[in-house]
Amino acid sequence: MVDHTHKAFDTDLQDLGRMVSEMGGLAEQQISDAIDALDRRDTVVAQRVIAGDARIDALQREIEEKAILTIARRQPMAVDLREVVGALRISNDLERIGDLAKNISKRVVVIDAEFRSQRVMRGVEHMAEMVLQQIKTVLDAYARRDLQKAQEVWHADEEVDSVNNSLFRELLTYMMEDPRNIGICIHLLFCAKNIERMGDHATNIAETVYYMIEGRPLVDERPKGDTTSSTVVPFDA
Amino acid sequence: MTSMDVSVGNGGTGANGNGVHGNGPHSVPTPIAGNRVLEGDLDEKVAVRGVNFYYGDNKALKDITVPLYDRRVTAFIGPSGCGKSTLLRILNRIYDLYPNQRAEGEVLLDGDNILSPSQDINLLRARIGMVFQKPTPFPMSIYENIAFGIRLYERLSKSDLDGRVETALRRAALWNEVKDKMHANGLSLSGGQQQRLCIARTVAVRPDVILLDEPCSALDPISTAKIEELIDELKTEYTIAIVTHNMQQAARVSDFTAFMYLGEMVEFDTTSKMFTSPVDKRTQDYITGRFG
Repeated sequence: MVDHTHKAFDTDLQDLGRMVSEMGGLAEQQISDAIDALDRRDTVVAQRVIAGDARIDALQREIEEKAILTIARRQPMAVDLREVVGALRISNDLERIGDLAKNISKRVVVIDAEFRSQRVMRGVEHMAEMVLQQIKTVLDAYARRDLQKAQEVWHADEEVDSVNNSLFRELLTYMMEDPRNIGICIHLLFCAKNIERMGDHATNIAETVYYMIEGRPLVDERPKGDTTSSTVVPFDA
Repeated sequence: MTSMDVSVGNGGTGANGNGVHGNGPHSVPTPIAGNRVLEGDLDEKVAVRGVNFYYGDNKALKDITVPLYDRRVTAFIGPSGCGKSTLLRILNRIYDLYPNQRAEGEVLLDGDNILSPSQDINLLRARIGMVFQKPTPFPMSIYENIAFGIRLYERLSKSDLDGRVETALRRAALWNEVKDKMHANGLSLSGGQQQRLCIARTVAVRPDVILLDEPCSALDPISTAKIEELIDELKTEYTIAIVTHNMQQAARVSDFTAFMYLGEMVEFDTTSKMFTSPVDKRTQDYITGRFG
């Protein structure tokens, strides 16, 4: 795109974009560390993730300040306005993703049980990988203003939901088998839910990227696959 | 007058079916959710159709087609020399005062072509009033500034005339500031007050359309805000066209925006659409400050 006549405006927008990308990189790292900590029950890594969230929060505040200042000083219009609003929205989603990673790590610290299920952990890891890939792709779509990639992410959330559904059922079964599993299974259930929520934030970001490029909201019918809120498992007494 | 029901009229010619794009045939812009501009009937008060304009041999306007909707504010934006002021000058045929200037095409006011030679120019200028960039009060009392125009068109008793002058000054939000000095010279007022006096003078003859050619460019921010507030008030009764270099002002006061460039009508749409997601790249570059 052609530069602004007033060059400082370009610098402002570039700075915003760079801050969002930096925040995205941090969020990705936090997710993979949190999952790693969960897998290995490594409280040291978990504590590092918990402490690391402050940097993401700080970046979000910086982006917000920068965006408000840019609106006040430059009165952006059209594509520039959408860019500033996009940075605000995406930084909110990334901040929430960071919180969710931190929440998983907090659970790692308190989990104190011998229960281990390869299948459950594989499921959690698989979900986390998919979500991480979603976040990577959508941040790439943001950096390159790639409409097609944004739409791919938007449509791909269903798979994450379906893994979450099967994990949900499996964990319920373990809980029914032995009440001593309930504590850990509940924590794992929340971890899976957190990962699923991260995927939702990735689709939010995809919607924002679409809006930034196209100037209109993405209003297509999106496939929704999370059925855990209506799932029941019959209890055979 | 053409009455159009917006709920069915969505025949935009733009790339996304949005508004008028390029010099295509006139159409009604696409409604945007929550956009109150398009609520109710949109009547085309003034229809500019295929207008060309020449300063001597120099073609300043090229095939301009644009509507001015009844009781809506239409802003004309574009870089200097793009023809927006020229277009405004056509609408009340001020250009007639100058030799070697001529217009082709049609400008319909309630369906009648005002460019036709049989048009009574004086009557036309009463129906389509104009306010200029610099305040131009007559060198006479505040009262006479207003009464002068009314007397040209109507014969009123002293008390009726007083009433009309007061109403015009109230409409222009100037009454409270001048009611105790009606016989002071109009030129003794501040710039912002003088501009509102000119608007009062325009309103006094009960026009249908008000043309504002950069009415705030010589005013401070407070006077500007007063004029903008006044525009919001006036549009409940009048059709308004405003030329402005101040993009934020166009965004604040207008319902529709037309972007002109090099004598062409590049894009016309609702203001909310134009300033958030214009279709034409030239419009985008201009309103985001990326021109040239």
